This record gives sequence, C-alpha cells and structure tokens, in this order.
Amino acid sequence: MTQTITIDPVTRLEGHGKITIQLNGQGEVEDAHFHVTQVRGFERFSQGRPFYEMPSLMARICGICPVSHLIASAKACEAIMAVRIPHTAAQLRRMLNLAQMVQSHALSFFYLSSPDLLLGMDSDPAMRHIFGVVGAKPELGRAGIALRRFGQHIIELLGNKRIHPGWVVPGGVTEPLAAAKRDEILAMLPEAYAGIKLALIAYKQIADTFKPEIEVFANFPSLYMGLVNEDDSVEFTDGALRLIDAQGNVVEDGITANRFTEVIGEAVEPYSYTKFAYYKPLGYPEGSYRVGPLARLNIAKTMGTPLADVELAEFKQLAVGPVQGSFHYHHARLVDILYGIEKIEQILTDPLILDKHVRAVAGVNRLEGAGQAEAPRGTLHHHYKVDENGLITWANLVIATGQNNNAMNKGVLQAAKHYVKDGKFTEGMLNRVEAVVRTFDPCLSCSTHAFGQMPLAVSLLSADGEVMDRVIRS
Amino acid sequence: MLNPARCLILACGNTLRGDDGVGPWLCAWAEERFASDPNVRTLSRQQWTPELAAEIAEVESVLFIDCSVESAAGIVRMTPVEPIAAGPGLATHHIGASELLALGQELYNSLPRHALLLTVGADSTELSETFSEAVTAALPEACRVLESTILQFLTGPEAPAPDQRA
Repeated sequence: MTQTITIDPVTRLEGHGKITIQLNGQGEVEDAHFHVTQVRGFERFSQGRPFYEMPSLMARICGICPVSHLIASAKACEAIMAVRIPHTAAQLRRMLNLAQMVQSHALSFFYLSSPDLLLGMDSDPAMRHIFGVVGAKPELGRAGIALRRFGQHIIELLGNKRIHPGWVVPGGVTEPLAAAKRDEILAMLPEAYAGIKLALIAYKQIADTFKPEIEVFANFPSLYMGLVNEDDSVEFTDGALRLIDAQGNVVEDGITANRFTEVIGEAVEPYSYTKFAYYKPLGYPEGSYRVGPLARLNIAKTMGTPLADVELAEFKQLAVGPVQGSFHYHHARLVDILYGIEKIEQILTDPLILDKHVRAVAGVNRLEGAGQAEAPRGTLHHHYKVDENGLITWANLVIATGQNNNAMNKGVLQAAKHYVKDGKFTEGMLNRVEAVVRTFDPCLSCSTHAFGQMPLAVSLLSADGEVMDRVIRS
Repeated sequence: MLNPARCLILACGNTLRGDDGVGPWLCAWAEERFASDPNVRTLSRQQWTPELAAEIAEVESVLFIDCSVESAAGIVRMTPVEPIAAGPGLATHHIGASELLALGQELYNSLPRHALLLTVGADSTELSETFSEAVTAALPEACRVLESTILQFLTGPEAPAPDQRA
C-alpha cells in the first residue's frame, strides 16, 4: 500500500509551495516533489505592451527582488534599442542591485532561516520566528534588522520607493545621484559592516553543530552557473555567465544574454508551474544545475573586494573543488552580503558617480533582445521579441528558482529518505525537509503574499485516502 | 535615518483594496498637513514588517493608522497600544502594532511615551481604488482626530485621550 505525505504550504519561503513525499508499502520513501502551485502568466499578458513598459511591468512579479527584474528587463530592452548605457548609470544600477541583494539575503538569513539555525531544527515550532531569534540572540536580531534597513533605504534613496521603484528604465536611470544621498549611504556603512561581521562570526560558531543536516540537505554533485567578470570576480549586474561542473572545470564561459538560449533549455513537469532549466548539451535532467550564492562562490576565483576575498578563501576550504552541500548556501549568502556592502562603498567613491549623464535614448533598432542579471537567488534572464512598433510579441523569463528547481526536488528527496522512517515522521523531520528548500531561498511568487497566518498541515495518507498520521502547525 | 522626528505616523493598507487604503490616504493627508514640521515623520506600508521596530524606537510618539474590520463601517476609533510579545506562529512578513512596540522594546530598550492606534471601520476591502460611502463620510472626522492627536503629541507631555469617536 502506498502512502503520501503532503507539506502544504511550505512555510518561511517567498511565496507558496508544497511538498509531497510518497512512501511504498514498507513505509520507505520512494519519491518526493517540491510543487510550486501558483500560476502567474506574466509572459503571456505582457504581449501587446510597448517594450519600454516591460521593466515596470516585470518588476511586479516580485516584492522582494523587483530590482533584479527591473535590471534584467531594462537590459533586454536596451538590446532591442541597441544602446550602451552611460558608465554612471551602470554603476548606479549595480549599487541598486547590490542593495536589493543585501536586504533580500538579510530577510532570508535572519528572518526565515535563523530560527532554525539559532534555536534548532527541533525547537518549539511556535517560536521559530524573529521574536524567538531576538529573545535568544538580540544582537543578531538588531544586525538583521539593520542590514535589511540598509538595503531597503538605499533602494528608497535611489528609486524613491522601497518596493517597485521606477527609477531603472531602458537606457539607464531616470535621475542622477545627489551628493546628499551619496553621503547618507556612506554614513550607513559602519553599521552594515558591524552587522554582517557579527553574523559571520555567529554562523561559523554554530555551523559545525549541523553536520548531520549538511550531509543530507541537497548535498550532491551538480553543475553551477553565475555571472563573472573578465577577471574571474563575482558580478551581479553585468559580465557574462560561466558554467562549471562538479569538479570545478569550466563547461561554458562567456555566455552573454543573447547566447543564453543556445546553452540553456527549459523542461516542464506535471507537478509544478515552475519550469526546470537545464544545460542543453547534457539534456534534462542530467544537465540540471544550481545558481545563487553557493554557485557564485563556487564559480568565482575572487570576490573583487578585500574583506569578502578573505571570506571566500575560507569558504573554499569547506571542500576540495566546488562546495556541494546546499546547507552552505547560508554561509555563501553572508559572504555575498559582505561583498555587497564593500562594493557599494567602492561604487560611491567612483569619481563619476554624481555625473548627470545617466540615460541613453533610442527607439526600436532590433526586433529581439535579451538581458540577464544576478538576482539574490541566482541568475535571472529576460528575453523579448517585438514588432516594428516596439510592441511585445513574445516574452520568456528564466528565473533563479526554476534553475534551482531540479536541485531542490533532489534535495527534498534526499532529506526525506534520510528522515522518514517506517512511514512516521516528527515535526522536526518535517521542518528539516522544509529547511532544505529554505537553503535555496526560492522566490515562488513574492508579489502574492497572503495576509494572515500560514497554517501547515502534514498528512500521511493511505492509498485509499485514510489519514494515517497528521502533524499540524498553526 | 537622518534627523529623527519626535513623532511617527505609521500607516498600513493597500490602496487597491477599497477601504483598506484609508490608512495610506490619511498618511498622505498628514504628510501634507505637517509638511513644514520636521518633528513629524510619515510612513505608509502595505504591511508592517519587523524592521519598522527600529523606526519606532527612535521617536517619542507613534500613531498607527489602519482600517478595522471589527468596527462598524465609518467609525473612527482611537485606542492605546501596549507592547505585546509575539505568540505562536508569528508571520515573517507582517506583524501588528503591539508586536512592533514589543520588538522595539526588546531590541533597542526603547518604548515611545505615546502609542495610539487610529482605525476607521471598513465596509469593503474588495478590489477597488475608491472608498465606501461610510469611509468617505468618515474622512473629515478621521483627519480632525489625526490632526489633534499629533498636535497633542507635539505640545504636551500627556498622552491624547484614547477612544475619540466621530
């Protein structure tokens, strides 16, 4: 008799998804899936809209990482316009994207995952939230809030809105940076540095206590992909994509946005609305790969900033070759934040950062264009086709969560096989299976957050629908 | 983050959800009314999130504004807010006024001298960019209560009286 365990919804994620775990007659895990249960339709309903509306439209996909969509979309539009944006505009966008990465990573680490990390996977589920963290480690609670405010305030200063700023447009940005705003950002840097240094120290102190989880949290060889600069340093906004294998060998390099679809394909599975990206030469699912903080640090040879470079060297000591365990996404996320703060400081000292020339203007010069950037969770790709009047005739978005989709599913299966024994499970086991997904910080549908509580019910059902076991979290 | 004001007006609501937008509307009204007063700061959010605790910890007085689905439609109500630590199952992306006060107290050892919640009873929070008749009719009174509360925050040591009604 087969049985199915359903975790619906999975909690402390950006958006809503569920997990099903299928057991065989002996109560052993046979299969497991992570389902994204929402359908959005942005690629379809943008058809017929003027291309220059796309950045603002596409930013509405997400309330956490709208900046990444703005930037990838604007770059796709600039490919259609065949323009190169001014240096200062590129730098300002880079700063905006890094600010978003800092606030998003702070949300993921401090609000969503630190309850597990600081209070324990088996701690009282009713207290696994930011208040629980504050009670146990108030200094880390302050650090998390400070880092999130740091990123959000920079976005607000540059784009005049914390969420969905309209400042990034095809051709550059709408207005230059004022000296007073630059000085305000510079004044926030010391607190941001203090917060991330505290978090790194705290994480390293507790990481060793999670060795069992590190072993089974999506810990397997895979390909990795992310943006890098020509000097092999990490890049979030420009550069080109690099794909490496599980041994660290470069499989593909210099993947510009217009080459993306030559290299990357998308598969679909009947149990999820999110697509599954793969490296075409290896096919699906063998060509599945991971993106995001872990991939970025596995790919880059340098962060390009002094403090983050020290952390990168230490991170790379975790393994010979690429670090395969997805639990280490947490660590990589903190290194990303440190890099972001340092890079923002570097950008603000650019002698041209207050330059007034921040936008290039052009019409439709090509009928197809693609753009890419690193979202906090990984590579984001936008690809549009337009008619002679610049109206969108076709759009395709390849988001980070889709690129991590196969790895998340494999990870859920790996953890479920380890923790579910004889068809029984505890709340702590349930939390660990969820926590595998949290390591990736997937962004399922950030712009459709529900008000109210998200109850979690896990049911173990027999083949005829009889409830065999049940765990409820409200 | 610069020039911390003495008084914070913190509104919550979605302007695309009918009467739920009354908080942002009143916040925008207050922003214009007190535009020349550096002691007054206004913030409007679709959801209140934990990091707002840091903003609250920096001020002497805070006025939360929200619509209410518990009050009768159009009823303007002022109630004191006390810090209450979060209970089980706290959501990550949004928390309430009492929890924000408690979080600020816990993290920053700071509690505003005055903390009040101004609510306007909602009739409908379905998709709409306009208010119901009841809420539209209540706006002048809500503005009057809001204005007098902020002026009392700024001029006197005593907290404004709660439960002022239309």
